[in-house]
Amino acid sequence: MSTVTDVRSRRRPSRQRGRARFRFGFDIGGTFTDFVLVDIASGAVRTYKTLTTPRDPSRAVMEGWRALVDQADVGAESVEMAVHGTTLITNALIEREGAQTGLITTKGFRDVLEMRKEMRYDIYDLLITLPEPLVPRPLRLEVDERVTASGEVLRPLDLAELEPIAHKLRKEGVEAVAVCFLHSYRNPVHERAAGEWLRQRIPGIAVSISSEVAPEIREYERTSTTVSNAYVQPLAETYLRSIGEQLRGEGFEHNLYLMLSSGGIQTLETAARFPIRLVESGPAAGVLAAVFYGKLIGESDLVSFDMGGTTAKMCLIKDGQAAMASTFEIARVHRFKRGSGLPVQVRSIELIEIGAGGGSIARVDELGLLKVGPSSAGAEPGPACYGLGGTQPTVTDADLVLGYLNPDNFLGGRMALSLEAAEEAIRSVIAEPMGISLLDAAWGIHQVVNENMTAATRIHVAERGADVRRMRMIAFGGAGPVHADAIARALKMRGTIIPSSAGVTSALGFLTAPASFELARSVVGPLKESRLDELERVYRELEDEGRALLAGAGVSEQEMRFVRQADLRHAGQGHDIVLELPYAHLHGVDVERDLQPLFYERYENVFGHAHRHLSLEIVTCRVTASGPVPALAIETEEDTEALPVEQAIRDVRDAYFREAGGFVATPAYERARLTPGATFTGPAVVEEKDSTAVVGPRATVVVDRFLNLIVTFE
Amino acid sequence: MLWQRLITVMDEVDQIIVRTTFSTILSEGRDFACILTDANARSLCQSSWSTATFTKVYPRTAKVLLDRFPIETLRDGDVLATNDPWIGTGHLPDYILLRPVFWRDEVVAFLGTVSHMSDVGGHPAEIESHDVFSEGLCMPPFKLYEAGQENELAFSIMGANCRVPNLLLGDLRAMAGAAKIGAERITAFLDDYDFDFASLADEILDRSEELMRARIEALPDGRYEYGLDIDGYIEQAHLHVTVDVRGSDVYIDYSGSSPQRQDAAINSAYNSTYATSMYPFKCALAPETPNNEGLFRPIHVSAPEGSILNATFPAPVKARAKTTNNINQVLFGALWPIFGENVQASGGGIWPLVLMGHEPDRGTYLVDMLPHGGRGGMPTLDGMVPVSYPENSTITPCEILETDAPVLFHRKELWPDSGGPGRHRGGVGQVIVFEHVGTRPMVFNLTPDRITTQPQGLDGGAPGRSGRALLNGDELREFPPIHLQPGDVVELQLGGGGGFGPVEERSFEAIRRDVELGLVTPEAVEREYARSTEAAEAAA
Repeated sequence: MSTVTDVRSRRRPSRQRGRARFRFGFDIGGTFTDFVLVDIASGAVRTYKTLTTPRDPSRAVMEGWRALVDQADVGAESVEMAVHGTTLITNALIEREGAQTGLITTKGFRDVLEMRKEMRYDIYDLLITLPEPLVPRPLRLEVDERVTASGEVLRPLDLAELEPIAHKLRKEGVEAVAVCFLHSYRNPVHERAAGEWLRQRIPGIAVSISSEVAPEIREYERTSTTVSNAYVQPLAETYLRSIGEQLRGEGFEHNLYLMLSSGGIQTLETAARFPIRLVESGPAAGVLAAVFYGKLIGESDLVSFDMGGTTAKMCLIKDGQAAMASTFEIARVHRFKRGSGLPVQVRSIELIEIGAGGGSIARVDELGLLKVGPSSAGAEPGPACYGLGGTQPTVTDADLVLGYLNPDNFLGGRMALSLEAAEEAIRSVIAEPMGISLLDAAWGIHQVVNENMTAATRIHVAERGADVRRMRMIAFGGAGPVHADAIARALKMRGTIIPSSAGVTSALGFLTAPASFELARSVVGPLKESRLDELERVYRELEDEGRALLAGAGVSEQEMRFVRQADLRHAGQGHDIVLELPYAHLHGVDVERDLQPLFYERYENVFGHAHRHLSLEIVTCRVTASGPVPALAIETEEDTEALPVEQAIRDVRDAYFREAGGFVATPAYERARLTPGATFTGPAVVEEKDSTAVVGPRATVVVDRFLNLIVTFE
Repeated sequence: MLWQRLITVMDEVDQIIVRTTFSTILSEGRDFACILTDANARSLCQSSWSTATFTKVYPRTAKVLLDRFPIETLRDGDVLATNDPWIGTGHLPDYILLRPVFWRDEVVAFLGTVSHMSDVGGHPAEIESHDVFSEGLCMPPFKLYEAGQENELAFSIMGANCRVPNLLLGDLRAMAGAAKIGAERITAFLDDYDFDFASLADEILDRSEELMRARIEALPDGRYEYGLDIDGYIEQAHLHVTVDVRGSDVYIDYSGSSPQRQDAAINSAYNSTYATSMYPFKCALAPETPNNEGLFRPIHVSAPEGSILNATFPAPVKARAKTTNNINQVLFGALWPIFGENVQASGGGIWPLVLMGHEPDRGTYLVDMLPHGGRGGMPTLDGMVPVSYPENSTITPCEILETDAPVLFHRKELWPDSGGPGRHRGGVGQVIVFEHVGTRPMVFNLTPDRITTQPQGLDGGAPGRSGRALLNGDELREFPPIHLQPGDVVELQLGGGGGFGPVEERSFEAIRRDVELGLVTPEAVEREYARSTEAAEAAA
């Protein structure tokens, strides 16, 4: 049920300079686990895709490692670096499968977690419910300590108070505990003392303290972040350690890194302490890959579209960059509605994710309307056509019935799809209850899921004020290339880009990221001359922390890069903006002459006006510490022999295009046989081992020198 | 689809407001709305989180503004404004701004904002007041900006009439700035899709009206009545409603309600009575349809002139929400038998509080907090823990309040046993305790609710517990501006919601879980759930 694809098989392996060196990336998704192995010298990429093994995810990982590293005759010792992304953290939060977690707060504040922001996420729906707090009330315990807003200790922490708490936590079988005291972002002394005491006294219980996890002002958001971190920590630790050990057992000697939601990477040890920073690691990798391809192709404005088995992720890339957000909401309980989930203060790439994937289940709702997703058939039992016991019709089943997918070529032909099972599921669950034909039902499923993704993309893009009509959509993920054509057309975009090995593209994103750490500390107060020394000290401390983390990741001192940022606002304002400081240190920097104009200018750019008569306040100091960007040279061989495009046609089959009047005889190209410069027109399908690209009528496809398909609509 | 894009533009304007305003009531409390109308001031859409009643008043206000400044006289960059209670939302703090959107040299739409300003001058009292003149500066319809230029005279008059000018002026500039960006987005939208807002408005409003009529048609015709005592101020007040459901129309009449008060700012002008009366119908009959005035065409509201729900100028109106926040409870009281599961019992109310003063080291400060009591029980659900209702706002974090003002919070936690027992229990309220830790006196303004009356249950559910406000342990019964001295401690007990359905129908499982979570104490189970046959067991 899986396949090795050597997408650069027409290239010579690089043996010129002695021992070959490789990087290994893998992405555990809800349905599939994807792998890439890159030859650092030649840029040659080998890929592998297999079904995720939800009960023991490392099983699929080991399978992929062996398939790529062992069978491909690459010595384990020549793999220099492995980078990993996972949806397991997110899934544990969505499915509430994390640890039994406790919370210790400042006396009088244990219910902050439950009262949230006292806001409703829907004003008119009286029947909305809020997500259950991750820590039930009896496990939210208090100590009588207090630090003030200015960071002074008002009531010292008495460690003896922790004794009965530790006892209770043990008695209740708690596996993780979060500590969140008021104003700890300003002065972490009590949290640190409590954390240390707990780690010593109850060593089996994972401890997360808010001043380490998310040292930012606003008690609810900080508590929510810290609790979420604690909730997934035992699971993350066990799982990450197991993967690390198993890889070592296979002879892998170097560091395993984890991709963060922000697109940076972190060591396994740090990731195990702050697993909440991994919540969006897979989607982040996809965006990095899109950015990478954009640079390669020379398109700096793109919409990336990553559709896997469970969800679809869309992200606007402008000027070669995706926007970053400093908070993120996970596990929304109400149809992905903003405000219905758990907020976490985690720097993440700003993208929109909806429950639309190949495995999304179609149903008829109480009003008799066809609905698709957000629930997914996942890897087990999977779509009906997998023949693994699934009986619910999914998007993949519809795509098969519509002739887009080749039943004999799924995962490179290692897994036969059952057209009969797909038809049966769609007929019995959709067509018959709705009184429509099988074909209309399949087309309906395909259209509804496309509409969902189109609407989500439109909102995401509109929120950023972009005009996508001059852009292309870069599509990847197992199902992305099947659906991108219709979505990009609905958005009136120019066309699409389907990178080679699109089915595993996001795993490639892991290998384009530098080691990177983000550090922040809240320092709320006026931005004035007399505070610059204090701020300089904070920045230095953050940089020192970053330096130590980078050194641990094997980055040499010369290669380290630090960027300072400040969250600033007008005095008295409620929210702030992030400003990059173009200074390595604050000595000789003048607030009025240097910093204020920088702020006003940036503020005016964003909001149209600044209040120049008002002085400034600083809220948070931020430092990004990063290592070098890995050189990933994907190049095409100049001497590749061009093959006539007709030779790439594997067969001609009926595929459904409504605008062309229904089923149309459509050539199915074999991607591996397409060479640079090949040109053909739609309708067409292009098959490779781990995905299929669908091109509708009235479009031209050109294969570029990197073997990407560049599709332009007429 | 295109409609969704317009909502997205309004959501963006909404975000800009949150991020650029100065007062905590806007940036943290979110007490504002942003609305898009066509050129005839008919609403097209608003941001997803807009304050509900604001969106219903706004089209009425916009029409008055446009009577005063006819559309053909407007120039690009003009911003019209007013805070007149009888033109606007019913009290002076709410400023309504209207910016024309020009496209091809013609006004094609208006972008409006309604926002609660934290300082509009006047006496510092919230409730104690004898006429609207003392409640702050009233600005009749005027141009805040003319062709993009600030109206200097207006700005200087407003600035000279409030305590913390930067809050009002800064927030007005922020609202106008957000409207400017919104107008640019709308123009860009029109460049993309040549598009007629008037026909879109026709379609939205007609379809919405049709939908609401169909839903009303499905209700049994009849007359439904309910009366409810509310706190009023010192002396209680009474709200009474008669609802006639006839075919596809609904006639709401508030005859029998108390006369307007001359000694307390708890009077509601017709606009705010009208707007708050729509809410239960929206929730029960069309919760999923984006809000617009077409939905409310079939609903007619009358209240005797001079009553507390149709107060006449110059009655004091500043704390009108103390009365109007109960309107939904009176309507649910009358209509729950025909509204199905989308109804709820009374809640513990919203307790706006304002702290202001001056400290030598930090200067002048003014902060707001909008905490809530528990929500009422519903036919199928227990009441929620404190959450904003019937409006929508967010609570200002204690860490922010302590940073911005010399206060120290001792507690902010759920209040066990405060929820009314019932088949579905009322949500528990909360207790908030804070201390003045500055060096100079601090003005403390509180508008509590449900302290002399109890949040009522429905369908046999028991009432929730009344709230209390204490200063250094002594119960407060009057709420003029209170001058807190350093070291003073304030305790607020915000009541729980009323229960829904008879208590004897509450399940053993639910009672046990309440006890486990500490939301109901074993003593209270014995006392209040005794009629529940299984309760004794649960307590044990």
